[in-house]
Amino acid sequence: MRIDPITRKRLRRFRRLKRGYYSFLILAGFTALSLFSNYIANRRAIVVSYQDSLYFPTFRFHDMATFGQQDEYGFDDVEADYTALQQTFRQDGGRNWVLMPLVPFDPYEPDFEYDHPPPNPPDRRHWFGTDSQGRDVFARLLYGFRISILFAVSLVVVGEVIGTIVGSMQGFLGGRFDIFSQRFIEIWSTLPFLYVVILLATFFKPSFLSLLAIMTLFEWIRMTYYMRTEIYREKTKEYCLAARSFGASRRRLIFRHLLPNCMTPLVTITPFAIVGAISVLTALDYLGYGLPAPTPSWGEMIDQAMDSSNRDKIWLSVAPFTAISVTLLLVTLIGEAIREAFDPKQYAHYT
Amino acid sequence: MITSSITLCGLLLATALTLPASAQDLSTIEWQTNYDDPPIGDPAALKGGIFHTFMAAYPLTLRLVGPNSNDGFSSWKRAVTMDFGLVARHPTTDNYVPWMATHWSVQDDKRTLYFKLDPDALWSDGKPVTAADYVHTLHMMQSEAIVDPFYNNYAEEHYEDVVAIEPYVLKIVGKFESWRPLDMFGLWATPAHAVTLEEGFPERYNTTVLPVQGPYVLSEKEAGQYVVFTRLEDWWGKDKHYWRGMYNPDRIHIRVIDDSDRALDFFKKGKLSLYRVNTAKKWAEEMEFEATENGWAHRKRLFVDYPSGVYGFAMNLERTIFQNKDFRKAIQYLFNFDEINEKLMYNAYYRAVSAFTGTEYQNPELKPYGFDPRKARQHLRKAGYAKRGEDGILVDTEGNRAAFTFSYGSKGLERHMTVVKQVFKRFGVDMDLRLLEPGTAFRNGMEREYEMTLMGRTAGRFPGPHQYYGSVFKETKNNNNVWAYGTAYTDSLIDVYRFNMDKNKRLQAMHELDAILQDEAFYVPFWQAPFMRFLYWDYVSFPSFYFPKRIQQMTDWQVFWIDEDKRRALADAMADGRALGRNAVIDVDPYEVKDRLEAAMKAAGDG
Repeated sequence: MRIDPITRKRLRRFRRLKRGYYSFLILAGFTALSLFSNYIANRRAIVVSYQDSLYFPTFRFHDMATFGQQDEYGFDDVEADYTALQQTFRQDGGRNWVLMPLVPFDPYEPDFEYDHPPPNPPDRRHWFGTDSQGRDVFARLLYGFRISILFAVSLVVVGEVIGTIVGSMQGFLGGRFDIFSQRFIEIWSTLPFLYVVILLATFFKPSFLSLLAIMTLFEWIRMTYYMRTEIYREKTKEYCLAARSFGASRRRLIFRHLLPNCMTPLVTITPFAIVGAISVLTALDYLGYGLPAPTPSWGEMIDQAMDSSNRDKIWLSVAPFTAISVTLLLVTLIGEAIREAFDPKQYAHYT
Repeated sequence: MITSSITLCGLLLATALTLPASAQDLSTIEWQTNYDDPPIGDPAALKGGIFHTFMAAYPLTLRLVGPNSNDGFSSWKRAVTMDFGLVARHPTTDNYVPWMATHWSVQDDKRTLYFKLDPDALWSDGKPVTAADYVHTLHMMQSEAIVDPFYNNYAEEHYEDVVAIEPYVLKIVGKFESWRPLDMFGLWATPAHAVTLEEGFPERYNTTVLPVQGPYVLSEKEAGQYVVFTRLEDWWGKDKHYWRGMYNPDRIHIRVIDDSDRALDFFKKGKLSLYRVNTAKKWAEEMEFEATENGWAHRKRLFVDYPSGVYGFAMNLERTIFQNKDFRKAIQYLFNFDEINEKLMYNAYYRAVSAFTGTEYQNPELKPYGFDPRKARQHLRKAGYAKRGEDGILVDTEGNRAAFTFSYGSKGLERHMTVVKQVFKRFGVDMDLRLLEPGTAFRNGMEREYEMTLMGRTAGRFPGPHQYYGSVFKETKNNNNVWAYGTAYTDSLIDVYRFNMDKNKRLQAMHELDAILQDEAFYVPFWQAPFMRFLYWDYVSFPSFYFPKRIQQMTDWQVFWIDEDKRRALADAMADGRALGRNAVIDVDPYEVKDRLEAAMKAAGDG
C-alpha cells in the first residue's frame, strides 16, 4: 500500500508520542483478547478428548449423552457439564481429558454453590466476586467490554461513513441540496436522542443490530458538519482548481484530491466519538433500555452496584467503574496523541 | 347450573316485589348491632407519649378528595382523623361492628341501608355529627368543584340516593344489588358546616385543617419536614367498646424521609419508634446493631392474614405457543420457586398457589406445581417438543422453537427472571427477557400485546373473578382478563359467586373455579408475604397479638402504645450502656397463619 509522505510522517509522530501509542497498544491488545472471550471465560470446555475423538464445544451444544453423563433427574439431553466432566476424567485417570478455559464460568449462569445469597465477595472461585444473581463479575466484565467496544467501533464507523458521504455531498454540490439537507439536519439534531431511543425500544425488541441502527440515526449528524466545511474550503483551493482545469473527472476530484485532504477531522474525532458511544451504550444499559437482560453489560453492572440494597457490596462497583474509567482514559489518550500528530501547526511556519 | 338459575330468578322476583320501606316508616326496620366481639386493641393500653414515624413525601394537600389527595399521607388522614366509616369489619373476627353508627339495617333488596348514628359523635369543633354530614359527603363526591373524576364516577356508580331521615337516622340506597352492601355503599362524614362546595374547592381546602370526627387533629406541620397529630384529650369516642385501647399516643410525629434505607438509619439512632422492614435482605442481614444487641430495640415477624391479590406470570392464550395446555403445564413445572426463594430471597417468602390467595375462596386442597423437570419433559413431549435444535432449544416437528418473550416493567424483577431463564434454557425452553417502560408494560398487558408477562394486582377481601376470568372480556381488550380466558362453565361458577346469596354455594363454586384455573395453567402464582416484619424500641408496647389479623399497613389499626416508664428505663439503660433483656422470640403467629402455610407446604412436598 502506498502511503503518502505526510501520512507517514504523522504516523511516525504518533508512534513517538509514547503515552498515546502505548495506550493504543494496550487497548488494541485488550480488544483482540476480548474477541476470544469465549475461550477465556466459559462454562463450555475449549477442547474435550473423549474416546479418541476431539470435541470443540465452545460454540456448539453437546448434550450429556455425548460424554456419557447424566444429570440428577436422569436426563442426558441437557447440556454437558464440563467442569464435572473434567473431574470425572481426572478421577478415572484414563486417556480422556478436558481443557477448560481460564475462568470456568460464563456471564449468564448463576453460581448457587454458596450458602449466602449472592452477591458474594471475591474469592478463589470468583476472582471479582459474583453479582446479585450469582453470576461471575469477571466474566460479565470481559464480555461486557467486548460488546461495548465492538458496538462503539461499529457505530462510529457506520456513522462516519454516512456522515462523510452526506457532508461531502453538501459541500461539493452546494446550492439547493445544501440548503435543504442542512435544514433537515438542523431539525433532526434537535430530537432528544435518549428519549427517542427509549421510545423506539418499546416498539422494537432491542438487539445489538437494532440498537446500532437506531443510534446510527443520530450518530451520522456530527460528521456532516465537519466534512461539509472541509469540502467547501478545499474545493476552492488552487490544487483543486488546477485538477479541474486539467479535466479531472468528478469522481477523481472527490476521491483523489478532496477526501484525502479532508481526513484530518475524521481521524482526530474518531477516538472521542468512540468514548461518546461507549458512554451512551452504558447509560442506556444503566437505564435498562439498552441491550436486553441478561446481556453482559457495564451499564447493567453499574445499575446493580448503585442499588441501595448493594451499598455494602464494594466489589460490584469497583469492577465496572475501574473498567470504564480505564477504557475511556485509554481512548482519550489515544485521541489526544492522534490530534497532536495530525496538528497542521507542526508544519506551518509563520513569520 | 339449574339450581343457580332458579335462585337467580327467585332473587329477581323478590327484588321486584319488595318495595323499599318508606322514608317515614322506621318502626318496621329491624336494627342490627354487635357489641359482642372483643375490643380491637388492648383495653389495658396506656395513653400518652409520642409515637415517631415517617412518610416518603410531604403531603401536597390535606383534602381527602380532589387533586393529589390519594397520596401516602391519605392513609394517615383516613385512619386517625377524618374517614370513620358507618360500620367497620372487625379486623380480627371479620364481623360487622358499630363504628360511627350504633345500629344498621340491610333491607331485603340488598341495596337499601339504614343507619342509626351515634348521638355522642361530635366534630372536633364541638358540633354534632349528623346524617346531613353524610349527605354532604355524597354531594361532595358528585360535585364538579372537587375536580376529582374518580369520586364523581364512584358516586355515579355506587349511590342511588342518600337521605337524612332524621338528624341521627341515615338511609343509603345503592345503585345495584350486592350481597355485601355494607362494604359496597359505606360513606364517611364531611363537616357540612365547614365545607362548601364551590368553585375553587381544591385550592381553598388545600391546607385547611377541618373539624374531624376522629381522635386526632393535625396540630403542627412544617412543609417538607414533618406533620404532627395530637390526640384529643376528651374525644367523644374514647370509651366506646371497640375503641378502648386504640389511639393511644398523645402525639404522632410523622417525619418526611424519602428513602427507606435512610429511615432505617433514623430508627437506629432512636428517631423513629417503629420501622417496617421491607426487604428480605435487610431482615436477614441488617437487624443486628447496637440497639437490638442490647435489647433496647426488638424485632418481630407477625404473621397476618390478608389477600395477596394476583401476583405472578400470565400467559397470553391468544398466542399459538400458549394455546397448548401441555406447554403451559411444562412451564409451571419448570418454574423453580424454591431455588429462587432460597438462593435469592433468604427463604423469606411463601409460594402462592391459588388465584385467590389469602382469601377464604382459595381452594384449600390445591398444591403448587412443584419444580419437576421430569413432568415438564413429559408435557413438552406431548406438546410436540421432542428434539433439541442446534442451539439446544427444543423444536417441534415443524421446526418451531420452544421460545417466547417475557416482558416486564420493573427492573427489580430481572434478578429473578434471569435465573428462571437459565433454568428454562437448561431444559430446552428459550425465554427472551424484554424490559419495557412500566406504563407500556402495563398497557401491553391490558391490550394483550405480550406472550408472557408479570401480572400484579392487589385485591380486597373479596376476589373479583368476573373481571379476571369472565369470558365476556375475552373478545374485548383493555381489561383485567389479560390471559383471554373464559368458558361457559367457569362463567356459571363466577355467576354463583357474584349473585348467589348462599355463602356455602359461593365457596364451593369458587373452590371449583380455583382448581380449574390451576389446571388450565395459564397463571403461575409467584410469592406471597403474609407477614409484617418490624423493628420497635423497647418503649413501644403492643397487645399480646401485636396487631389485628387483617392488617396491611402500619397505619391501619392504631393499637400500640407508648409506655413512659419503660421509656425512662430505656433512656437510663442506654445512658449507662447497660443491656436490657433480649426478646428472643421473633416469629409471632397469633392467627396460626404460619402453621397453616407450613403444613400446606409439607403436604405439597409429600405429595
